Amino acid sequence: MARLNRRALLTGTALAFATVALAPMRKALAQRVSQDVPDTEWRHYAGDQASTRYAPLDQINAENFVDLQLAWSFKTDALGARKEYQFEPTPLHVKGRLFLTAGSRRDCVALDAATGELLWMYRLDEGQRARNSPRQLSGHGCSYWTDGTEERILFVTVGYQLVSLDAKTGRPDPAFGTDGIVDLKRNFDQEIDPETADVGLHATPLIARDTIVVGAAHTAGDQPRIRENVKGYVRGFDVRTGQRKWIFHTIPLKGEFGYNTWEEGLAEKAGNNGVWAEMSADEELGLVYLPVELATGDEVGIFRRREALFGESLVALDIETGERRWHYQFIHHGLWDHDLPCAPILCDIPVDGKTVKALAQPTKQSFLYVLDRTTGEPIWPIEERPVEAGDVPGEWYSPTQPFPTRPPAYDMQGVTEDDLIDFTPELRAEAVEFVKQFKIGPLFTPPVLSKPGRWGTIMMPGIQGGTNWPGGCYDPETHTVYVYSKSQPGVVGIIPNENMNVSEFPYVRGTYGIEPRPMMAMGAEMPQRPPAPPPANPRPGGQDEVGPTAPRSLSVQGLPLLKPPYGRITAIDLTKGEHRWQIAHGETPDDIREHPALKGLDIPRTGRAGNLGPLVTKTLVICGEAGFYTNEYGLRGAMLRGYDKMTGEEKGAVYMPAPQSGSPMTYMLGGRQYIVVAIGGGNYSAELMAFRLPGAA
Amino acid sequence: MRFGRVKLAAGVVALSALALGVVAARAQAPDRNVWTGVYTTEQAERGRDAYASQCAACHGGSLAGIDVAPALAGSTFLSNWNNTNAGDLHSRIQTTMPLQAPGSLGGRTVADIVAFMLQVNGMPAGELALPPNPALMRNVSITAREPEGLNEDGCTCE
Repeated sequence: MARLNRRALLTGTALAFATVALAPMRKALAQRVSQDVPDTEWRHYAGDQASTRYAPLDQINAENFVDLQLAWSFKTDALGARKEYQFEPTPLHVKGRLFLTAGSRRDCVALDAATGELLWMYRLDEGQRARNSPRQLSGHGCSYWTDGTEERILFVTVGYQLVSLDAKTGRPDPAFGTDGIVDLKRNFDQEIDPETADVGLHATPLIARDTIVVGAAHTAGDQPRIRENVKGYVRGFDVRTGQRKWIFHTIPLKGEFGYNTWEEGLAEKAGNNGVWAEMSADEELGLVYLPVELATGDEVGIFRRREALFGESLVALDIETGERRWHYQFIHHGLWDHDLPCAPILCDIPVDGKTVKALAQPTKQSFLYVLDRTTGEPIWPIEERPVEAGDVPGEWYSPTQPFPTRPPAYDMQGVTEDDLIDFTPELRAEAVEFVKQFKIGPLFTPPVLSKPGRWGTIMMPGIQGGTNWPGGCYDPETHTVYVYSKSQPGVVGIIPNENMNVSEFPYVRGTYGIEPRPMMAMGAEMPQRPPAPPPANPRPGGQDEVGPTAPRSLSVQGLPLLKPPYGRITAIDLTKGEHRWQIAHGETPDDIREHPALKGLDIPRTGRAGNLGPLVTKTLVICGEAGFYTNEYGLRGAMLRGYDKMTGEEKGAVYMPAPQSGSPMTYMLGGRQYIVVAIGGGNYSAELMAFRLPGAA
Repeated sequence: MRFGRVKLAAGVVALSALALGVVAARAQAPDRNVWTGVYTTEQAERGRDAYASQCAACHGGSLAGIDVAPALAGSTFLSNWNNTNAGDLHSRIQTTMPLQAPGSLGGRTVADIVAFMLQVNGMPAGELALPPNPALMRNVSITAREPEGLNEDGCTCE
């Protein structure tokens, strides 16, 4: 952690720009365009089926990173009926073309990878079906398949349809499904309404051995409106025909493996347990790896009592048949919404002098779980340790949870007084008083009933993690995983609920004194709320009398409750199961830099909380910032930063007008290396930006 | 400036002065700032209800965000919207939210939701409600912190 306190080499934009200004003179005669360097591709969402997000390129390196300039950019405003601000895709690069989904309608587009010119666009207007989807907007991107002659681009629409397009023309493949489309709401081993059912997907379909594997995502379950939601089964389809090859019941049917881990009769009625994250595959082993979420009820498990497989488990399936080979449950009966958010990284690592086919799973709880990917056995021991039980009536508490012994957690876990803000003694003292209103404790401290003076449990990491959907990256040369995580706590309190219009659950996430509101699935009809909801959870003395109220946010004088860094990148050496380095990633947020209580203090860069995926090349770890900040020129924007992959030392930063919203990728084309990244957010609409070094076109 | 082309020597000075006056008046929409009370308590109360029914499913009951939607309170919100204006925020919400029915919320409801968001982020209520139209709040700066030397009119100028 020593590095977190050092001033980064380039703390501000000005120094980066100063270096930029000098660099062209230094480099004026450098020949960067080398035609003999072969083009490289980026055929999968995270670079390859192993989800490494790695490219062994070094034309862009520590010395010239600050010379990067915009090659082209592509605004997505005209795709869809309105602008988008949540642009999450990583494009694919195949033979000089970029393929991605984009815009508020999630159109699929092909761009010239050297110029950004639009080559084709495919649009499917799904009307109300799309507006009802729990996963809107551009999604994570698309997938590529070829048999050497035919080329296909596949993606899942907002309305949950699988589309196969000819990569050359963007036209639907008539041999696939019905006119190029498979309706994913049918042939799903459950009857659901294709117009309104609560299922969609942001993730790309994973393609391995000519099989397309598709997951399922649903509305978040803090206050689940209904108990019997859609079941998030995972299916495999033939890439040529769209025929369903298999289905895997993530909630096991009676007689299937795992059914006995549920209390009798609960599995039949449970929903969700889908795979909303990206997946990975090992074609040689013939396995696909599924990161599974929780069954319905993110923080309340009374309708999914016991371990309830395959909740919060990684499941390895046979790609050809969909049969389970092994599974590993990271959290038993989770109550923290720490479902698996991203693909495991497949990595061949040295263990006791032998190379082991392993995988490394980043998580919301900030453990990197390292398993043998053939068998699911841990590489380093994972110990079952006792954990505390909570006090919610009807809840089931696992007596133990698995704790990896290596590598160490890569972000803060649980909360103690030592973790509280300490910029000044006054702030610390206030924070110590503040947390007395909550339950705090180590990782896996359970949510508790919310009451005055103990409003809930402070969870750290919060429900978003830790690490979220972008996942990490992996350098096969040094066997190092790089992962971004945010340090953002959350509060989980549980309150009783008698209002069936709000939820069919008798307990939901909430705060004492505040009436719970229904979390409506997008397609669901809003129930007619009674004029005065029954006061199941009244304020003391009635609605009009002012009783004690819970703090609105985890903050002290408007500053985050916990110490920085608020966002960090950790390099984890898998040859030893140790951290190689850890740095704060992201400029200190404006609201903290400008806070009157911190005037005159020298605060090292705090990093920034968000959801980010880094990229690793021959020499650099490259990652944009998660949020806007105002630089010394008074301009809003965010930096794309390049770090020495061996030390974490910052080697340069490039200005972008908005934060990174989709993970960066890179490729060589025509002798030049490109870095492409999706940006947007706040008042800046989505844009794809391509950077390269200066040189003759 | 068009008025400068007037050739009547006697009128030039007077007309120029008039022209400058017009330009100055246009530029003189008062600078306002979210820290000076730009919404009312009643408005924020209505906004709380509207938020619960229109926004909470994705952004969370405590505005903390979920896996697929950003936080609308705290450092993430304050820094992402620092040095923009209330009109930007109003437009963004009105044109893109809620996801299942963008454009369906009236300007008054959106203004109520913005008022609630400002309240949750610690900005004080005042006498004048936020207007229902983003064009009427382009002069309302959003700053992450209350600027020093802010006068009653929300202006740091003289």
